[in-house]
Amino acid sequence: MSVTQKGLLVGQPELAWQHPSPRLLRARRIQTALVAGPVALVGGICGATASAAVGGGVAAAVLVAGLAAERFLARRVAAWGFAERDEDLMVRRGVLVRRLSVIPYGRMQFIDVTAGPIERSLGLATLRMHTAAAASDARIPGLDQPMAAKLRDQLAVLGQAQAAGL
Amino acid sequence: MSSPPSAEPPLPALRGDQAVADLAGWHRLHPLTPVVRAGTRMLSLIVLLAGIAVLKQGQDSSQLITDLVILGLALAGGFVSWLVTRWQVAGGVLRIETGLIRRDSRRFPLTQIQAIDVVQTGVARVLGLAELQLRVAGSDSARGGRLACLRLADAERLRRELLAISVPQPAAPAAGQPELRAGPGAADVPERRLFRVRPARLAAAIVLSRAGAVAAIVIAVVAVVVAVTGSTVAIASFFPVALGLVLTVWRQYSSEHGTAVAAGPDGLRLRSGLIQVTAETIRPGRVQGIRLVEPLIWRAFGWCRLEVDVAGPKQRRENRSEGQRLRALIPVGSRSEAEAMIAELISSQPAARSRPPRRVRLKAPLLYHFLAWGGDERYVVAARGRICRKTTWIPLEKVQSFRWVQGPVQRRLGLASVLLDIAGRRVHADIEDRPAAEASQLLARLPAQARTARARFG
Repeated sequence: MSVTQKGLLVGQPELAWQHPSPRLLRARRIQTALVAGPVALVGGICGATASAAVGGGVAAAVLVAGLAAERFLARRVAAWGFAERDEDLMVRRGVLVRRLSVIPYGRMQFIDVTAGPIERSLGLATLRMHTAAAASDARIPGLDQPMAAKLRDQLAVLGQAQAAGL
Repeated sequence: MSSPPSAEPPLPALRGDQAVADLAGWHRLHPLTPVVRAGTRMLSLIVLLAGIAVLKQGQDSSQLITDLVILGLALAGGFVSWLVTRWQVAGGVLRIETGLIRRDSRRFPLTQIQAIDVVQTGVARVLGLAELQLRVAGSDSARGGRLACLRLADAERLRRELLAISVPQPAAPAAGQPELRAGPGAADVPERRLFRVRPARLAAAIVLSRAGAVAAIVIAVVAVVVAVTGSTVAIASFFPVALGLVLTVWRQYSSEHGTAVAAGPDGLRLRSGLIQVTAETIRPGRVQGIRLVEPLIWRAFGWCRLEVDVAGPKQRRENRSEGQRLRALIPVGSRSEAEAMIAELISSQPAARSRPPRRVRLKAPLLYHFLAWGGDERYVVAARGRICRKTTWIPLEKVQSFRWVQGPVQRRLGLASVLLDIAGRRVHADIEDRPAAEASQLLARLPAQARTARARFG
């Protein structure tokens, strides 16, 4: 499952991967339901103008698609992970397309903690690290809020200590 | 400082023989600034007015008077804005204050400045004026500063002095780089000419580039339409397209005409432009990446284009429409000219020799042709592209983050890519489609190597 098990970073000491809170899965399920529900409703109503059978079929199809997507959520949530190394932070994610980012602490320009309404209601937050490069795209969703704040402060201190110019 | 400048003794215009110490006082811009600011717009307005006046033969002059009033108001506004704008260099900080009703005071710590350009728009050139543009790190162009306009000689001198102040003290030991010290001596150091574009070749190259290809297609379509319908009316409908094409080609030619690169004491001096002349200095150590571009047709002639990415936003107005374009040190040149320039820019030039395994053909049949990478302890070079071959060199000390990516097809074939991100979004070096084991090794090795490079060269 994890990229490290497939021989990534051969010859390196095994990293202590940390993972988002298990409640991230619940947050993702709610998000999927919030999209699939209204889409099924609107699709069903639109279809029902043709005939009741078509409306029911459309609604059922959307709901089935939502449930199918739900099956992948668990794997996608489990794929998120991050590891703090001495000089940089590693973030991995993705199931179909696997990604692993290495962000040197000295390159972090600023760190955001954001929480949408669903995340907030579950006590979660997303940590986002910004470097001067637009493509860096390093974020860790679904952290416990105290954990996110702690990590943010920790990274800020590390970033300050190792800050490098452009 | 919030009191209007008119309440103070008159501000001296910058004189040619003042020393750095005199910069500490407040200065005004050149009095002709409003004329330049109104610039091309006013020029076209005058031409339009003249045209209308000739056409109407004075039968309806009220319209003309309104236009003149608008023109006068615009000039008066520009004059007031000139009156309330002043600048000062004190304590290593450039301050520009402007605004009559809403005071706007901007501070530019000179140590953070990435580059200072001298830009001359068409009107400014006629009047012998120039504009100083300051580039600071980051992608937000609003953070850059402008001093418009100064006399050309003053602008050049001020640029030198600001650059001298902006160099961090340890980096400029008085004995090691005496040229960097400001003063009259700085102008006397001879520049070493490295490259000058040939106008004929530039024109030919632009015709043979993408714009030329599009033009050829448009002409072919028009010819077919005319041949089929037998009427010439169809040509009229292509007029807007043709105009757009002509404008694109013209803009590119006029911005790259006369590109000349010389090695000066403070870096590479780049000068280009037909109507609007831009002079900029690319300081060593500010180069984020170098890209060698070889389009299909150019390769037949052995031509290439060399671009550099320097930290900081792009501000040249003429090039704004070409946001993806980088600064071209060599708009078109021979392979040997490009190689000489690359040697000038980076201390070692690793070649992209490491080819991907043959099974990559299955995943990227076209890309496979030129795909390669190479590297040494300081630089990474990656080549890609089929129609347009692009080779990118990146100094490891500038890399912001590393990414390892493996898509489903790559996983099947046992491949992975390692992407190197540098500041901005314009240049990136992708080491694509390597055997998975090699990619893992790279991801483990490169960050450490970059750290060493940062410590040594950053």
